[in-house]
Amino acid sequence: MSATVVVRPTAAEIDPVRTARRRRRLERVLAVLTPLLVLVVWEIAARAGAIPVRFFPAPTMIVSTAGDMIRSGVLLDDLGATLRRVVVGFLAGSAAGAAAGLALGLSGLARAAFDPFLSALYTVPKLALLPLLLLIFGLGETPLVLLVALSVFFPTWITCMAGVTAIPEGYREAARAFGASRWDMFRHVLWPAFLPQLFVALRLSVGVAILVIVGAEFVQGNSGVGFRIWHSWSLFQARPMYVGICVIALLGLLCTTVVTALGRRLLPWAQPADRR
Amino acid sequence: MNTPGATLSTSSSPTDPAAAGAAAIEVRGVAKRYGARDAVVALDGVDLTVRQGEFVCLVGPSGCGKSTLLRMMAGLHRPSEGEVLVHHEGTRRTPTAMVFQDYGIFPWKSVRANVRFGLDVAGVSRSEATRTVDSWLARLGLADFADAYPATLSGGMRQRVSIARALAVEPEVLLLDEPFAALDAQLRTVLQEELLALWQSDRRTVVFVTHSLEEAILLGDRVVVMSARPGRILADLPVPLERPRSAETRAEPAFAALEQQLWTLLRDEVSRTFAGGSAS
Repeated sequence: MSATVVVRPTAAEIDPVRTARRRRRLERVLAVLTPLLVLVVWEIAARAGAIPVRFFPAPTMIVSTAGDMIRSGVLLDDLGATLRRVVVGFLAGSAAGAAAGLALGLSGLARAAFDPFLSALYTVPKLALLPLLLLIFGLGETPLVLLVALSVFFPTWITCMAGVTAIPEGYREAARAFGASRWDMFRHVLWPAFLPQLFVALRLSVGVAILVIVGAEFVQGNSGVGFRIWHSWSLFQARPMYVGICVIALLGLLCTTVVTALGRRLLPWAQPADRR
Repeated sequence: MNTPGATLSTSSSPTDPAAAGAAAIEVRGVAKRYGARDAVVALDGVDLTVRQGEFVCLVGPSGCGKSTLLRMMAGLHRPSEGEVLVHHEGTRRTPTAMVFQDYGIFPWKSVRANVRFGLDVAGVSRSEATRTVDSWLARLGLADFADAYPATLSGGMRQRVSIARALAVEPEVLLLDEPFAALDAQLRTVLQEELLALWQSDRRTVVFVTHSLEEAILLGDRVVVMSARPGRILADLPVPLERPRSAETRAEPAFAALEQQLWTLLRDEVSRTFAGGSAS
């Protein structure tokens, strides 16, 4: 008795393009299908009374509450207030963090002078500073924006500094071999090598900014998405809470997407090959 | 760059720059020590003269200081002792240009911008730089990739970019630090031939560091053999092969004879490094 192993092309080898396309389509459908399924199960369970609607309102109820909140203007006001604080704080904090990271990365002396000091401050949870900021600046926008700026500053600084110090010596050596001046070195080597790291830092810190603003708005202020979530709790209203949570999640997604898209646009050379 | 009075200096008035055989680079009694209390002696008592228009290959075991010596010629390192003189006409900001084994070209610049780098740094006018860059891109077969980024190129193409960038500044001395070491054997052969053809069409002074004896013989007018650490010059042999050379030159009996002779010199050095386990 004998057997033969047969190795022949299957569909994947005969039409690889079509197979790959079908596979991609399947993956895309699954990505949408799973959350949709969760929502449908939730909806049915809520309507059937299997879960308490007081805590877990059905998705359609949340959507209709969101509609009400949009019509009354509450939601847009809250979103506007939060967005303003996040954007101003994020821009100020990341600009200062990037400048500090660059300066400390480039100069060993600046690093010696400021690194231990900043590292010590880095470990302080920034939310713990809110009462102090409120004490100093009073109730208003300033302490909230400042808190966002502070919490963005530190991760940006650390990531940027690490990025600059990790620029391979080989690149500087190559530039020096052509007689590059200090300015040439900065313009042609250090700055472009630093930019991808800056975008890594921005992607990280935009998430931090949103986290911190929600926490701060819980405690302080009478507007903002964080305030709305907290306020709804004190009124025992679950539905506006869910709306707030969804809105803040979407805001985080939007901000991260904007930063990523900007990085991809500005740094075509730093993208993975399959994205080019 | 080259501070007057420093140990490493450049002189812009050789006695007779036009005369064939005038010295382009002189290395006099150079030593290099590193580490705490100068524990590591990388180079010791090195004397070497490279004449204008000459192609000199430096070979030696890993860690023998051949790259260090080359970097001194480029002004990137300074000797602990002795001096390196690079004689030039003084019209360019740097008389030398260098091709590195890796990290040479900048991933954030397109091929065109990379080749242009030396000209930008030297303050060459925009139109002149564009003309020069285009001609070097064409000569090295890079014209179709001018706007590509290095990450999309093969290793061989990247080294072509590195060579084009160095030649675009029209250096009086071209320094190459194991430029083909990271390439596979077939590609290395192709690039060796390209370099040979380029050099044979305009004979500038070249110092080429390699650990391949075969490469050194194929390309060089002279092969300088260095010892294991501390790096000293063991032998300085002329290559008795006619120019122009090509891939077929490898088949000549003199080629194999010289390779054998060099290997005999190097074998003990290599095993010494191996036994010491101090390769870098």
